[in-house]
Amino acid sequence: MTATLEELLCVQVSAELEDGGLGFIGLGTGGRSFAFAVGIPSVAVALAHRRGIDFIAQYGVALEPDIENAPRCFEDRNLLTWPSSANLAVETCLDGFKRGKMSVGFISGAQIDKYGNLNSVAIGDYRKPKVRLVGGIAQPDHAANAKRTIIILPHARRTFVEKVDYRSAFGFGDGPGHRERLGLIGGGPAKVFTDLAVLDFHPESKLMRVVSLHPGVTRQQLVEETGFALIWPDEVPTTPEPTEAERQAIAEIDPDGAFLNGRIF
Amino acid sequence: MPGSRIPERLVSAQEAISVIPDGASVAIGGHTLRRHPMALVRELIRQRKRGLHLLGWNNGIDFDMLIGAGVAAKIETSYVGMGPLGLARNLRRHVESGAVETVDHSETTAIDMFRATALGVDFLPNRTPLGTDLMTYNDGLVEITSPFTGQTYAAVRGVEPDFVLLHAHSADVHGNVQLDEANWGDNTVDPFIGRAGKHVIVSVEEIVSTEHIRANPRRTFLPREYVTRVVHAPFGAHPCCADARYGYDQDELRRYYEASKTQETFEEYLADRVTSVGDHWEYLDKVGVANLLTSATHTSNVKGADTA
Repeated sequence: MTATLEELLCVQVSAELEDGGLGFIGLGTGGRSFAFAVGIPSVAVALAHRRGIDFIAQYGVALEPDIENAPRCFEDRNLLTWPSSANLAVETCLDGFKRGKMSVGFISGAQIDKYGNLNSVAIGDYRKPKVRLVGGIAQPDHAANAKRTIIILPHARRTFVEKVDYRSAFGFGDGPGHRERLGLIGGGPAKVFTDLAVLDFHPESKLMRVVSLHPGVTRQQLVEETGFALIWPDEVPTTPEPTEAERQAIAEIDPDGAFLNGRIF
Repeated sequence: MPGSRIPERLVSAQEAISVIPDGASVAIGGHTLRRHPMALVRELIRQRKRGLHLLGWNNGIDFDMLIGAGVAAKIETSYVGMGPLGLARNLRRHVESGAVETVDHSETTAIDMFRATALGVDFLPNRTPLGTDLMTYNDGLVEITSPFTGQTYAAVRGVEPDFVLLHAHSADVHGNVQLDEANWGDNTVDPFIGRAGKHVIVSVEEIVSTEHIRANPRRTFLPREYVTRVVHAPFGAHPCCADARYGYDQDELRRYYEASKTQETFEEYLADRVTSVGDHWEYLDKVGVANLLTSATHTSNVKGADTA
């Protein structure tokens, strides 16, 4: 594959974005996790805009900012002068989640399980964790309330686990019917994008299943890097590589790797 | 003008912080690396407070520094991280050892615990944490049923912190606290936190006259009936950014983050930047005028520019 993994994921995620959608992108924590949580969704939205899609990105509290001219440092005064249609109070923005205004939530985590539940709080015993992570942030709010969530995270056996150590963001919970029993207004996880594959969830069993493998990735490799049994289609397609035109557009949107190499401070 | 018997509330940081007893609940304003009341945080460390229960809605260097300095016994928030730098290392060390207790929230439940009290109610309903382990381990989140629709909610318990520490742009000596018109939306939770506290201490960039306050009344976000003490602390959020007033001191943030790698190097940092320094004014001398003004006036904000 000549394209980078990040380019491939940007195009894949962008294809999920539809007219009239509204998606929230947070501000992320550090380096590679910034690229997954913020960089890829940002470039995906900019690509959708170049295709003429009317998709509103809520970027923290900035509504539809000029992504292609994002500040290279997210300190307050740069965000204050970033051209946007609104700079909402954060509680107003988060109230919009609960009001059902959010059609897509972009989320990530340190662990995901077969039902798409995420953990960004603690690995191991919660009271005396092996690794203490950053906390839930707004991910529980996305997961409960967005019409669909798009999960982007690196694929590894320690990340894709049978059951998350701490369920901080609700996917399909314990399985079919759990979201409905709780009365959660959001639809749950729609797709999972990793460095190895695209995955979704079986409509009845709500178990994670393979949609496509990225170029050069084998079935054996995905099995080895996943800590639970995946559902496989009869024929496993290969994730399409980005076209030259798409790669050129990404280079224009992110010429200095601010988004895709996580270089925004 | 109001009468002449209005109490004056302007005091030094030492005096404002001295009334906080060990074991108190203390809420801290700001967000990630934005407008935390760092001058007041450093004074808590200088006065060797212990056993505090810290509350916030989204925290960063403020909580991490207090944890690393042994000030915090318990923390309650939705996030403790160092933003673009990565995971909070003092948090990791002291939570993983079991020394600091955690109470976890989502952003909305953390905001709601302050908003409830500010609204004069003891809880707010919120669907977000249903079915998550936020409810398993946080006894301030309890399932309830709407009497109108039968919908299940988590009741988010309101909190009334013993003390609230905030940083703002300006105030008069009576405690009418203002923000400039330009203030970033992530900083808007501070008024709720302020209105939820029993005893509210606000540090400000500048002390202004009551006439100035009264000429710009829409900028007052916490009027004096909510404010117990005002502290004059220019660059009081340093090394955090503070709306349009100043940006990050990236060098200082990186120095802090590097030092937080081990407890030993972190204690050297504290000795150098906090405990060997008499007060916030000496701290500003230590950081240096050139560094402060660089963070106030320099930025790499352009696509394609060097971000280093």
